[in-house]
Amino acid sequence: MTHFEATCFETLDYIKNSYSARICQLEEEKKAGKKIVGTLCLFVPDEIIFAAGADRVILCGGKNDAVSIAEQYLPRNICPLIKSSFGSIVNNGYSGVKSCSHFGLVDMVVAENTCDSKKKTYELMGDYVPTYVLDLPQKPEGPAAVKYFLEELNKFKGIMEELTGNKVTVEQLKKEIISSNETRKLLHRLYDLRKREYPPISGLDMIKVMQKQYVLSAEDFKEALRTLINEAEQTRADSIAGSKDEFTHRPRIMISGCPMPGGSTKVPEIIENRGGLIVVEESCTGTRSFWDLVDENKDPMTALAERYIKIPCSCMTPNDRRIDNILELAREFKVDGVVNYTLQFCHGYNIERYKVQQALKNAGIPVLSIETDYSDSDVEQIGLRVDAFMEMLS
Amino acid sequence: MISVGIDSGSATTKAVLVIDGRIAANNIRPTGFDFLSAAKNGYEDALTNAGIDKKDVNGIYATGYGRNSIKFADKAVSEITAHTMGVYHLYPAVNGIIDIGGQDSKIISVSDGKVTDFLMNDKCAAGTGKFLEYTAKALEVPIEELGSLALVSKEPASITSMCTVFAESEVISLRARGFKKEDIAAGLIESIARRVAVMVRQVGLKQNVAFVGGVAKNAGIKVFLEKELNISLYVPPEPQITGALGAALYGVSKKVK
Ligand code: SF4
Ligand code: SF4
Repeated sequence: MTHFEATCFETLDYIKNSYSARICQLEEEKKAGKKIVGTLCLFVPDEIIFAAGADRVILCGGKNDAVSIAEQYLPRNICPLIKSSFGSIVNNGYSGVKSCSHFGLVDMVVAENTCDSKKKTYELMGDYVPTYVLDLPQKPEGPAAVKYFLEELNKFKGIMEELTGNKVTVEQLKKEIISSNETRKLLHRLYDLRKREYPPISGLDMIKVMQKQYVLSAEDFKEALRTLINEAEQTRADSIAGSKDEFTHRPRIMISGCPMPGGSTKVPEIIENRGGLIVVEESCTGTRSFWDLVDENKDPMTALAERYIKIPCSCMTPNDRRIDNILELAREFKVDGVVNYTLQFCHGYNIERYKVQQALKNAGIPVLSIETDYSDSDVEQIGLRVDAFMEMLS
Repeated sequence: MISVGIDSGSATTKAVLVIDGRIAANNIRPTGFDFLSAAKNGYEDALTNAGIDKKDVNGIYATGYGRNSIKFADKAVSEITAHTMGVYHLYPAVNGIIDIGGQDSKIISVSDGKVTDFLMNDKCAAGTGKFLEYTAKALEVPIEELGSLALVSKEPASITSMCTVFAESEVISLRARGFKKEDIAAGLIESIARRVAVMVRQVGLKQNVAFVGGVAKNAGIKVFLEKELNISLYVPPEPQITGALGAALYGVSKKVK
């Protein structure tokens, strides 16, 4: 199978190479007295952090190297994402192990009560970095959940005010909501282009863009998206690698499941190198992060509580919203098949797999489930399943 | 149309020569360390057996674990598709396939000769030929005899561990406790049958199911699996070569060269 050679937009290069520039930027900000907040999950509203005048970096880890460091402290059988993040925080960029340098720069981590592995790990994390845990109601439907979450967000706002010494005003919050919504709308536009018969951007590239959201500042990310969209929109609808003969038969794939933070691109690489074309990701590093906007006309804190509590994460019960969303995305993006991607020991998504599979089967959409970690030991096995899946779809 | 399929498996390499849709020769040999020479030798032996000259071969198609390293093949196809085509050729009525090989077990759901769903065991030897190989060793019984030994058991021992390594120590402790060899053998086979049956139910296979792969040669497993699933299974006379056969037929169907 020939390798997927999709787009080569200049912005894409910029986005991919932005890593070290961001570290310098953060160091400058710190010197100027700005506080840096690390988050590990979509449930923590950026808007509140930004409104308090702090910057934020997302610390969800995708690198395998930090996993073994974490295993000195944590049980082996929890998900690699948590081990990678924790390993990077403990390691703090000291030893020779490759881990993200951003972890050493944060003044505070704002964590959240989601899955068991995360909340218990956060208890240990406090020894290495100041950690604040935001509580989430686990049954998101109904007004009581919103009310509870709103209270939690108000507490969190207070914590941010304390950390930065700045008051979070309604005006500031409104401004940040508009700004974050802009990013979300840009992502919607970019994803819309992938609905084309020949998407101008490969799934692998798109995932790398989404991963950069973790490290780029909100402004730089937005700017990069704008230029990327311009470049992508200007490409003729059929002038992409997609018009090549061998490419026209690529099955359109949706990846659905666990997050794919920076460093973990194993499965999308296998899929696209073996004939598939990823057109949408139902994931925290995909639609789940931007699909819903925040209502700009409501009281900002209430609007935030309402939007964030709706994120269809498997920590929530029931989580039927996610199933509906998957079916809707499958239709909108005209997918031929779904790869249900889960991390080893992520019980939430692994258990939810059954419902996802049933729903897709009933809708007549083929699904392949892959459970993996960040190591390369199963590349061949996954390759075989993906080969067979592609043969089945074409 | 002369087409050759090579199934380069982790334990054995199979070559099948197909002339106009009919099996003309086949060859089964241990894979050993060198995938490529096993494939080459198997291919050449099959040709010699059928009395066919290399230059008359229209296409060579590879499948199996080493499929992408068989450089002299024209195209590679996954084992899932290959087994399906091979089995469908032998039994056009099949709706499902159980393939237990050296390292993998695969359950395939089939409709009109096409794969509609499949499931494979994860990074683990439980429910594969390897499981039998290791535990048979611990029992000091040649693997070929494990099945027939199991069939004489009246009271299968219970083997609770799914992990090959732990099952091996379980066998040793059962031996130490004085269990009969046939009962331990039956326990082992029952445990693999149970494991495979779980996967079969997950995929939802109900009837017209074929059982192929090296492990299908073991009569004991077939009996236990049938009991566990409560259906009768088709086992081809040479269950090890359906992958290679399917690969050869794949070439014919795609007319790829
Ligand atoms: S999967 Fe759930 S807990 Fe994990 S980052 Fe996404 S929203 Fe947060
Ligand atoms: S929800 Fe799953 S992937 Fe996310 S942190 Fe928890 S266990 Fe890991």
